[in-house]
Amino acid sequence: MSDSESDANYFKEVVAEIEAEAQRRSSSGEYPRALLRSLDEEFRRWIPDASLENGVEDTIRSIESAAYVDPAVPINSKSPLGRCVKWTVRRLTYFYHRHVTQQITALGIHITRPLRLLDASLKSVNKRLAALEDRLDVDVSTRSELLSGITIPTSFEDFDGVLSQHFKQVSGRVLIGDLPNSRLLKNLRDGGVDAYGVTSSDAPTQEAVDVRHEHLFDHLGDLHNESLGGFILCGIPDQASINEQLRALRLLLLRSKPGAAVAVIVIHSETWTKRLSPVATDLLHGRPMHEETWSYLLNREGASNIRVVQSSDSSYCLITAIL
Amino acid sequence: MTSVHQLVPTISPRDAVGNHTLALREVIRGLGCESEIFSMFRHPDLMSDTHYVDHLPPDADIVIYQFSIGSPVAERWAQHPALKIANYHNITPISLVGKWDGLLAAEVQLGRDQMARYAAHCDHAICDSDFNKSELDELGYTSTETIPVLFDVTNAAPDSSALAKLERNRRGTQVLFVGRIAPNKAHHDLVAAVRTLRELHGDDAHLHFVGTDGPPGYRKIVETIVTHAGMRDHVTFHGSVSQEELVAHYVSADVFCCLSDHEGFCVPVIEAMHHGLPVVAFDCTAVGETVGNGGLLLKDKNPLVVACALHRVSSDSGLAQRLRTAGRQRAKYFDRGITQDHFGEYLSTLLGSL
Repeated sequence: MSDSESDANYFKEVVAEIEAEAQRRSSSGEYPRALLRSLDEEFRRWIPDASLENGVEDTIRSIESAAYVDPAVPINSKSPLGRCVKWTVRRLTYFYHRHVTQQITALGIHITRPLRLLDASLKSVNKRLAALEDRLDVDVSTRSELLSGITIPTSFEDFDGVLSQHFKQVSGRVLIGDLPNSRLLKNLRDGGVDAYGVTSSDAPTQEAVDVRHEHLFDHLGDLHNESLGGFILCGIPDQASINEQLRALRLLLLRSKPGAAVAVIVIHSETWTKRLSPVATDLLHGRPMHEETWSYLLNREGASNIRVVQSSDSSYCLITAIL
Repeated sequence: MTSVHQLVPTISPRDAVGNHTLALREVIRGLGCESEIFSMFRHPDLMSDTHYVDHLPPDADIVIYQFSIGSPVAERWAQHPALKIANYHNITPISLVGKWDGLLAAEVQLGRDQMARYAAHCDHAICDSDFNKSELDELGYTSTETIPVLFDVTNAAPDSSALAKLERNRRGTQVLFVGRIAPNKAHHDLVAAVRTLRELHGDDAHLHFVGTDGPPGYRKIVETIVTHAGMRDHVTFHGSVSQEELVAHYVSADVFCCLSDHEGFCVPVIEAMHHGLPVVAFDCTAVGETVGNGGLLLKDKNPLVVACALHRVSSDSGLAQRLRTAGRQRAKYFDRGITQDHFGEYLSTLLGSL
């Protein structure tokens, strides 16, 4: 064997060892994925493609800030005399510069105004498009009729311990949506977690807990990116279309900080099939997604410590992970 | 006398394609042929040594086109009645530049279109690498040959003040990358890898970028990422440097790391190996065949894997020494004399068939 071949084999072995070591450290938790994910998120946020998310608004904002022309010309100079001369010139010509810059600023504002309108109509189109996509699914009224066999448990007692433990160390707010009942929320708050709920139901909550009565997507639309310390997604995985489920997950991930604790509660597909008629299971195709699918989706987003816990009667399962 | 002229969109002395074109002219002249370079944009230093594209003689016997970007110059070559040779250096795919620089995107798109269109016009094609050759073969180019790019590995003495400065600031592992600051070179991945090396291996590592700015905006975004990643004190952009300063970087660094997403050849890898710098590279496009058995080739450029590789090279002196030796050996394969002979033989055969 020549030196070159011997080197090639040795380097291949070293690369294999390196890959194995990285894998070992990664799975042992020695490499926190959240740390790595944060830089990846940072890059994705800044590349021009990422501007599709908030780009139009950001661009308009930058035009607006650039549109303001400051008539106060800088007067810094290396010599005190130079500074004095500049100050005098500025003082004498200020009326002129101010007049000109005010017109330029007004022009800039007039340019950005239609851009703002354009941005608003784009957002409206996006919203209507999403609604249209949802409507491609079974009509909402038919959907609730078909889903009548599925009742969301009044509590997820089996998961209380796991959820309290999972969200114990979380810093920041934890969103629970679509909140099935206030008990889950109260349990977490009693455990010291800064949790709040979002529910599309109009039914008033019994306990004095922080519950927003609005649609989860509307609420997520109002939140800033990386503003949540964690989330529990429930209800939607059982009831919503696959498009809505994926959209909910995508938005929740965008709104969560790196290192956020996440949980998804989903009914078992076998339980679902048993409880619903063949008509419903056919027409509501694509839901609920299996726990393996949720684990896969979370893993694809770089989540770590993905765990699946079954309820005592095996009707529901809980998937937890760290972003 | 047989005339073998070259056409190139832009000729500049501090550019890999420019240097290759100048070197190839000497090879052709060495074969006893008349040879000149014709270009649309000429660097001021080369004005007297090259000619404007319009002056290309219509009766030239062979015209070689240096193909690395879209340009109207290619049309002159395609329309010329001479035997036509394309010297293909690869064109960065539009997917890697489109979102950063509209003008460059238009140029690379034109280049890719021309590349496909001229398959029927081109008599022979010379490619820097097998990767480049495979692209032309797919497009239906009939006579393709791989001959590496002609370049001189600088043997200049390292700039003493630059070297002293680098040594003075040395703490942890010094990671070097040389190349234009362009998205296909994936500087952002290097920042991620070195940050991971620092945070997870406790290495006070420093990342050195040497190279001019590419598409406007990319450099700014890399700098933004550097700031957000808390790496401002651990990443240095040195810009374009002299040959002596470049050697100082090669001599001073601990490891050369290339995580490019697209390279048609990658001269800096050879330079690093020539100067005995261990090379760690992501195996994609032509990088793998350029590195060959002279460095560590990673199949995955996940920051964890790259950081692990950099840590291994910096902490395992036996491995580093073996990489240095293997790298020097590999660099010899691209020795200018050998490549010149290869070009000479290839062109002699063509001239014989005229």
